[in-house]
Amino acid sequence: MTQVARPAPERLDAFTVPSQPGNERLALARVAGTLQGRGLSDARLERLKTAVAEATMNAIEHGNGNRAEIPVEVEVTRSGDDIIVAISDQGGQTHPGDDDHEQPDLLKKLDGDQSPRGWGLFLIRNMVDAMDITTDGQRHTIWLTMRTTGAAHDEHV
Amino acid sequence: MTSMCEATTRVLPGAAIIELAGEVDGSAAEVLTDAYKRAVSASAESGDLGTVVLDFAAVDYINSTGIALIVSVLARARAERRKVVASGLSAHYREIFDITRLSDFIELFPDLDRAVSQLGTA
Repeated sequence: MTQVARPAPERLDAFTVPSQPGNERLALARVAGTLQGRGLSDARLERLKTAVAEATMNAIEHGNGNRAEIPVEVEVTRSGDDIIVAISDQGGQTHPGDDDHEQPDLLKKLDGDQSPRGWGLFLIRNMVDAMDITTDGQRHTIWLTMRTTGAAHDEHV
Repeated sequence: MTSMCEATTRVLPGAAIIELAGEVDGSAAEVLTDAYKRAVSASAESGDLGTVVLDFAAVDYINSTGIALIVSVLARARAERRKVVASGLSAHYREIFDITRLSDFIELFPDLDRAVSQLGTA
């Protein structure tokens, strides 16, 4: 059997932001700067920026309870054609941000049968090529994957 | 959290226009709600139910809580039988309006001039 060696993941950046509302903008700006010129089209970079901002907001608010002293950790890696952004908080297994059992339904929201909020995970899922969530003790991580190739179909026209 | 969103309102025959600038996120709630109230009360004074135009040309960031605010404005406008249209959204945020189905309920125009001319208020 022939094995194809996958390239070792390359860490492009790692940083933290304090868990304060609004700091998702810091995370998205830094990730965008890191990924400039790394093979993502402008449209796909915009999608990833939105996903990073939403995931960081969830980590700040739901994972770390807006406690500034608990940092949100962000790591950007490249593995082959994949750009992977991992966003970690201390929300553990019962992460309220994962509580999306009710899909957002705009008509229900307009009729008052569903809260106007609840778009975060929905947006993340629709913005990236893959989203995974892992927990290790209290450490809760959301993994956002965006391929740098083969996604011409979802470019803006 | 200090709002990074600003809103200016003006009324044309048949349309109340809310021009937004900056960031539409959770901190924009008061700005957006007040702007909507100002816009519709001014249009009501002119005896016109009209259309509410949300112009996003100077908006550089909308997040999920901002989407929730837009949903709330739309819900209120629908209850008052007002039409809502939007202009000036970037390609990325037009996509988000499509994904969330906001564009099923809010007609999108490339820019404010075209929105106003299509509404026959020019």
